[in-house]
Amino acid sequence: MSVFAAILIGLAMGAIFGMALEKGRVCEGGVIVCQMQMSRHAMLKMFLSAVATGLIVLAILVGFGFAKLSPKATLFAADIVGGAILGVGIVMAGACPGTVLAQIGTGYRDAIFTFIGGLFGALAFTYMEPNILKPVLTTGSYGRLTLDQLLGVPFPAVALTFAAVIIGFLVWLEKVSPWEKEIGPNADGVPEEPATPVAASGAALR
Amino acid sequence: MLGFTKRAWSPYAAGIVVGLLQIPAFLLIGTALGTSSSYVTISANLAQFIDPSIVEIKYAANHLGGAKNWWQVALIAGIVLGAFVSSRLSGTPRWGHSPFWARAMGAHTPARRYAMATLGGFIMVFGARIADGCTSGHGVSGIAQLAIGSFIAVTAMFAAGIVTANLIYKRV
Repeated sequence: MSVFAAILIGLAMGAIFGMALEKGRVCEGGVIVCQMQMSRHAMLKMFLSAVATGLIVLAILVGFGFAKLSPKATLFAADIVGGAILGVGIVMAGACPGTVLAQIGTGYRDAIFTFIGGLFGALAFTYMEPNILKPVLTTGSYGRLTLDQLLGVPFPAVALTFAAVIIGFLVWLEKVSPWEKEIGPNADGVPEEPATPVAASGAALR
Repeated sequence: MLGFTKRAWSPYAAGIVVGLLQIPAFLLIGTALGTSSSYVTISANLAQFIDPSIVEIKYAANHLGGAKNWWQVALIAGIVLGAFVSSRLSGTPRWGHSPFWARAMGAHTPARRYAMATLGGFIMVFGARIADGCTSGHGVSGIAQLAIGSFIAVTAMFAAGIVTANLIYKRV
């Protein structure tokens, strides 16, 4: 495929992606951080819906031989260390590497700083990768390990079963905590009434 | 249900739309959705102006060009565009920084928020590159492919995120 065609497809897909991130309200730092505080779950709901849809889509594409999977290699040390650092950064920034771009689109000024910080983070990694980070990155390398391989069951069967489990969990989660309440009156993840003095002192004690 | 002028869709509808994007990703581009490697493509191309020898680093050279790398750069540019159009159609444009931060951290100046955002962005992408993926590459795409490494990375991400969010912010 030509680079030009790839760019056009990317722009079109990105526009849909960006609209979904904005309408799903994960473009709000408040929604991301409250998820990490486990007080409201709009982000987890959207995330797991995307995962479950992806599982079903890929079960069909792989099952009928339309596509081949490209899972990332399992690198124990890199996955744990990198994942943890990523989690800390997400909470400080109030964004993920993808959702920060949706924040920029909605107009948030701080997101531009997050993005620029991210570019420097990528650059720092690039310079450190060959010499400093290589030992971490290659520790506990198991190649392209997947759950269906481990179980010895075809991918579509495991994928569809896992999707069903996720959907069941989401049905329960929605009953316990309805999404319309979670995003708040301004759809920014900030709840309506300010914390009462009792609740505020409780938070301070914590 | 999916009105363009609506301020919010249910997170389920929004998530399904993202999941369906795996179809063109796999069939047209031959890869899964992801965003964080585009930071390498952009920063390495910019750094080339100052340090031409960066092309000698294999990792940079692998990300400098080609259809897949520029596809992902276009994808993140498209995200900005899509979110811009969406927020204007629904009359939910934003500016400055969210009032959420005052609730979580107490009163603070834009300068403090921007400093924290910059540092957070640095740490976030640095970590994503070590793990070789972020919330989309490891999360949405990796778990949908049942990759063990992605289960590990996403678990570590949420675990560290939950600890940090409860340590550094007031509960909102």
